[in-house]
Amino acid sequence: MYELSNVTKNYQKGRRTIAALRGVSLVIGDGEWLAVQGRTGHGKSTLLQVLGTLDRPSTGTVSFAGRDLAQLREAHVTRLRAESIGFIFQAFNLVPTLSAAENVESALIPLGARPAQRRRRVTAALESVGLADRARHLPSELSGGQQQRVAIARALVKEPRVLLADEPTGNLDEDTRDEITALLEKLWRDLGLTLVLVTHDSAVARRAQRVAIMHKGRLSIRHDTRRAAQ
Amino acid sequence: MFFFTYLRRELRRRMRQAVVTALGLAVGIGLVITVTALSSGARTAQGKVLGALFGVGTDITVTTATAPAPGGMAQITPEPYVQHSDTLSSPTQGTMSASAVAAIARLRDVSAAAGGLLLTEIKTTIPADNAPPPTGFQPPVQVSVTGVDPGHGALGPLAAARLASGRAFTASQPDAHVAVADAAYAAAHGLRAGSAVTIAGARFTVTGIVRQAAGSNAPQLYIPLARAQALSGLDGKVNTVYVQAASAADVAAVTGEISRLLPSATVTNSASLANSVTGSLKTTAQLASSLGTWLAVLALLASVAVASLLTVAAVGRRVREFGTLKALGWRSGRITAQVMGETLAMGIAGAAAGVALGLGGAAAAAAVAPKLTATVQTSNTGQGGFGGGLSAGGGIFHGTVGGPVQAFANPNATHTVAVPFTAPVTVGAIVVAVTLAIAAALIAGAAGGWRISQLRPAQALARVA
Ligand SMILES: Nc1ncnc2c1ncn2[C@@H]1O[C@H](COP(=O)(O)OP(=O)(O)O)[C@@H](O)[C@H]1O
Ligand SMILES: [Mg+2]
Repeated sequence: MYELSNVTKNYQKGRRTIAALRGVSLVIGDGEWLAVQGRTGHGKSTLLQVLGTLDRPSTGTVSFAGRDLAQLREAHVTRLRAESIGFIFQAFNLVPTLSAAENVESALIPLGARPAQRRRRVTAALESVGLADRARHLPSELSGGQQQRVAIARALVKEPRVLLADEPTGNLDEDTRDEITALLEKLWRDLGLTLVLVTHDSAVARRAQRVAIMHKGRLSIRHDTRRAAQ
Repeated sequence: MFFFTYLRRELRRRMRQAVVTALGLAVGIGLVITVTALSSGARTAQGKVLGALFGVGTDITVTTATAPAPGGMAQITPEPYVQHSDTLSSPTQGTMSASAVAAIARLRDVSAAAGGLLLTEIKTTIPADNAPPPTGFQPPVQVSVTGVDPGHGALGPLAAARLASGRAFTASQPDAHVAVADAAYAAAHGLRAGSAVTIAGARFTVTGIVRQAAGSNAPQLYIPLARAQALSGLDGKVNTVYVQAASAADVAAVTGEISRLLPSATVTNSASLANSVTGSLKTTAQLASSLGTWLAVLALLASVAVASLLTVAAVGRRVREFGTLKALGWRSGRITAQVMGETLAMGIAGAAAGVALGLGGAAAAAAVAPKLTATVQTSNTGQGGFGGGLSAGGGIFHGTVGGPVQAFANPNATHTVAVPFTAPVTVGAIVVAVTLAIAAALIAGAAGGWRISQLRPAQALARVA
């Protein structure tokens, strides 16, 4: 699905240059679940942003489904993001004024689906995360775990090929963390998604096929259950 | 539609900001409407005053400073003890030959010129020498009589008059014994169309009653010019020439041409008349046009600035929301449209509130404002001042009649006209104001859109981690 070679990302902060990624080379297979661990400030989110086409690398190439992203224009990249890439965030990032159903629907807006079809897909997505009965609730009327479920439904409603999750359980208590992890695992299995999950939590990372560690902008693979299984 | 759902929800959530923005715009719009109404009201009032003093359709009046012609026919009733005198004269204004009218009419840029003869009829009763002294002073009776050219109905003292009943002069009766009476005079003397009236001993039939604008100092009776000339012994003479320029732009040029043609004449146009107007009307007009305009422009700019800043600040506070939408694949344009929709809704609300504020402000101003007054300084002698209807009333008693009449002389010959103040809000003003509000909202939305385009989606998410 992804092929990164020698990807670097520098941030300019005033006169200082911060090297967030210092030459990351990585292949992520179709339908793979990759967990990324590492301490705060070592480039995990930056890597996810590059994978999610939210940012372009400073040097190096990223190819997605065989296409070099550097060759695509911004409008094309936006389209690709709308169709193929789902995000989940640590702080859920739901639009506070929109109901659960409307938040999920917002992911279908750039796709230009008809309202009736949108509603059907939203209902199905909320059902798949077990929140069909909370469709009309505002985010403020939902628990953290429920909000993250809505966010997962929003990420998946467009049936993306890739799900990028940045510490999705970071704001949740342990029980809820396990619930969400189990839900993500089930969806990953059922939908054949490629899942890249950034987490601090080794208990979560252990469920993934591969675990990578980000350290000072460099990535190394720690654990590979696929190889172990072979 | 999702656009409207999202729009509605955001407006409701940011109600306070929406209200502040809309109110800011409303104040700006309200001020624009009020000031526009005030200055148009002041302009209308000024126009009314000038029209009243000057006559609608008349651009220039020509009078002369030469000696008044006190002559005129005396109708002395030969009774043994008491004498009645009834004279018609031009006591305060000099006269010109009627040929001046034709000469003026021939000037370039003059579309029409009409002569008029503003006269005063004075009826006195002189007690006989051997009569017992009168118990009380009996003032002479005066009637202002104006000779108008029936061939020029649209120009001169009758042009601005509204016919209340009967009919006005027709060009086919230049010499007939017909008269038109002012409504107030007719009411006081029980005249109606068909009544008979005696002027300087001659009988006239009243054919019509007219009403002149309030404060216009209208003559009491109008008769054909030729009859006025004959009765006053001023054959071939006029004392006022009413001139209409080909266009408003020509007035100044025509004024100069007439001055060259008739060096001794006093040539007055509405501009010079307007300059001689003083009083609350003038102050109001100046205030509305200078201070008011600045105030309105300032308020409008301030409200646009406030709306823009609030919008940009709101976008700043919604960085995460918009970053998330970008991550969901929303184009910047779609997000900008969403923000534009929000500011546009505030703009429309602001425009509606602003129109209400403006209507209220204009109504309040009109209700609170006292009648505006305009004072026109006529020359002290009553003769060289601008002609028009003024001298017929104000300056009439000056020294030409002699005797007790002098006591009535208007010492300073000013004329004050009170005009009710209105502040009309026109549809045009409302359209302009609403357009401004919407433009202001779009400017604010564009400012927000600019801020959105500056956002990198990754930047928005970086704040989350
Ligand atoms: N937009 C940015 N501007 C400047 N520096 C940034 C920006 N985003 C991230 N960084 C820096 O890049 C480094 C990596 O950040 P990040 O990828 O967020 O780390 P992590 O997610 O592992 O905590 C950090 O030093 C961080 O301060
Ligand atoms: Mg991070």
